Amino acid sequence: MLTACASTSFSDLFSNYNKQMHGVKSAQQRGNFEQALTLIPQRDKGNVSYSLSLLEKGRLEYLANQHELSKQDFELVYKQVQQAEQAAKVQLSRGVENVAAVVSNDNAIRYDIPYYEQSMLHSYQALNYLSQNDLSGALVEIRRANLVQNKALKANQQAIFDSQKKMARKGVSPESLASKYPSMNTAIGEVKNGFQNAYTFYLSGVLYEAAGQANDAYIDYKKALEIYPHNVTVQQDVWRLANVLGMDNDIQLFKKRFSQDIAKGNSQGSANKQSPAASGQLVVLVEQGIINSKQEVSIHLPIFTSHGDMRFYSLALPSYQNRLRQYSGLSLSYQGKHYQSQEIVRLQSLAAKQLQDEMPVIVTRQVVRIIAKEEIRKQISRKGGDIGNILAALYNVASEKADTRSWSTLPDSIHILRLDFAPGKHEVEMNINGNKRTVNFEIFEDRQTLVKLTAIGNYTHYQSLNL
Amino acid sequence: MKKLIMITSVALTLTLVAGCTNKSVVRYGDATEVETTDISFGSTDLQKVAGQMTDSLLLSPVVGTLTANSRPIMFVESIKNKTSEHIDTESITDSISTKLLRSGKFRFVDMSRVEAARKQLDYQQNSGMVDTAKAMQFGKQVGAQYMLYGNLASIVKSNKDQTDVYYKFTLRLMDLESGLVEWADETEIRKTKGKEFVSW
Repeated sequence: MLTACASTSFSDLFSNYNKQMHGVKSAQQRGNFEQALTLIPQRDKGNVSYSLSLLEKGRLEYLANQHELSKQDFELVYKQVQQAEQAAKVQLSRGVENVAAVVSNDNAIRYDIPYYEQSMLHSYQALNYLSQNDLSGALVEIRRANLVQNKALKANQQAIFDSQKKMARKGVSPESLASKYPSMNTAIGEVKNGFQNAYTFYLSGVLYEAAGQANDAYIDYKKALEIYPHNVTVQQDVWRLANVLGMDNDIQLFKKRFSQDIAKGNSQGSANKQSPAASGQLVVLVEQGIINSKQEVSIHLPIFTSHGDMRFYSLALPSYQNRLRQYSGLSLSYQGKHYQSQEIVRLQSLAAKQLQDEMPVIVTRQVVRIIAKEEIRKQISRKGGDIGNILAALYNVASEKADTRSWSTLPDSIHILRLDFAPGKHEVEMNINGNKRTVNFEIFEDRQTLVKLTAIGNYTHYQSLNL
Repeated sequence: MKKLIMITSVALTLTLVAGCTNKSVVRYGDATEVETTDISFGSTDLQKVAGQMTDSLLLSPVVGTLTANSRPIMFVESIKNKTSEHIDTESITDSISTKLLRSGKFRFVDMSRVEAARKQLDYQQNSGMVDTAKAMQFGKQVGAQYMLYGNLASIVKSNKDQTDVYYKFTLRLMDLESGLVEWADETEIRKTKGKEFVSW
């Protein structure tokens, strides 16, 4: 009965998720998404990692242009998230999982999808709806993504503070953890929290504009600008819509902040409106690379036991590599001018920041587990003698695995670029991370054309959508 | 005595087993029954929205004068879904137009079937299969005088104790010639779901 409702597969307990995903990711790196799909570790409903395996599946199906399948899988994940959110305050099945986790490891706990992964889920879902020419469906997903970000903002601060206090009560100070745990500061970069995703806001602005809701678009562009204040594309969009909507206060404010080019460039743009040269816009979303998987690190931490004595324990903790890959992004030349895309989200940094914020909770659980396992070993050695002692010790070592689960098929970094084009068909050569690619698209007057580009290793692919 | 224990224990096991094998049962229910399976937009909301809107439209004095001597021709533009749920708004407009038609006060043209009608007329005119004297003619359809359109918006809030959803449905009737909005009304629905304390 218990296993039926909250099951963990045996392999999850003794092998790390990053190892299980290794084949999938190398197939993804080669651009062979069909093969990657067959390699995803299968999880049935009721498994603690069910929603995670659906996320990986949905993302790979999205890459393989199987938008309907991808949509169905993401919808299932959304249902799971909804259920978890509306579930009772005390869920007995979670208790069982926690008990299982105390005698094994964190992989026995249900995978709760962090906020940045949820916002990406809705962004992909919106793009899935768009590929089926369903703008109103895409907007529903955008509104869901905004709800997620609002919720995250509310939940965040207090939670981090509380979890640090809890960890201190278990005898681990944040300082001693910080001194032993490998730093992720380079990977985190300038990200301030692990959930605010400017890409989702920007996409939402683009779609609101397509639906003729300029005011809603303006609000979301401004939110994206708050997170990425130096992104020129976002600055241009904010400036453009501020002028269209007559946001006089904002215009005064942005005039000081933005560079001359943007503030001037658009006053020319408004002059153009009186002598109309028809144009439409090309919006390019460039996904680059694959996000890193979590790795397992072992650290020795001094822990004060309840008897007041200090002992060193070895903990297996998840961590991200402390480096960021450099991407040159997308560059193109058009009518003698050179254009360069700029970053709108660094998912690797969001993931690393999210993990850093969760660390106190993970360490607290780990300490409880170590003490419990030590107690079990003592009991067994008392009853089973040397052999029992050895077996228990072996089990403790083998089952001491970090929880390295995370959505590992996401892109690493996403760039954006927006350009004006004359209406009609165009063929433009674009340079993505050193690969040349000719992109065909059609521009309609006063409409946006969305081109989504994927660049993974040497694989590039694009799809153009008329909004 | 032993036999008795045996029998009771067998009976107990049987009931336990029967309890565990949860056999699915098919039943017919009342289609207008209040449905509270979950908090998302459901059949009760749809019926409530469509019912209240048609009642309000049919009872309004403006519409009374419009329909006093004639049966105005209407067409339903889509209902814009501004909620955070994937709702089939066509099914709301279907309910509303059916109810209005049933009242006998309005006539409708159906924009979603224009293509099919064109195909049929084309067949009658050009296939050579239909007696041309009896074939329906192109260019004889009548145009709609009024347009019915609306919005469905929602506000969702949740905290650790409950989730609250507020729906607002707005419907408007526009005179296509003058561009005047002759009638408008809105319906609100509020649903709250409290969290249980303990569950599996």
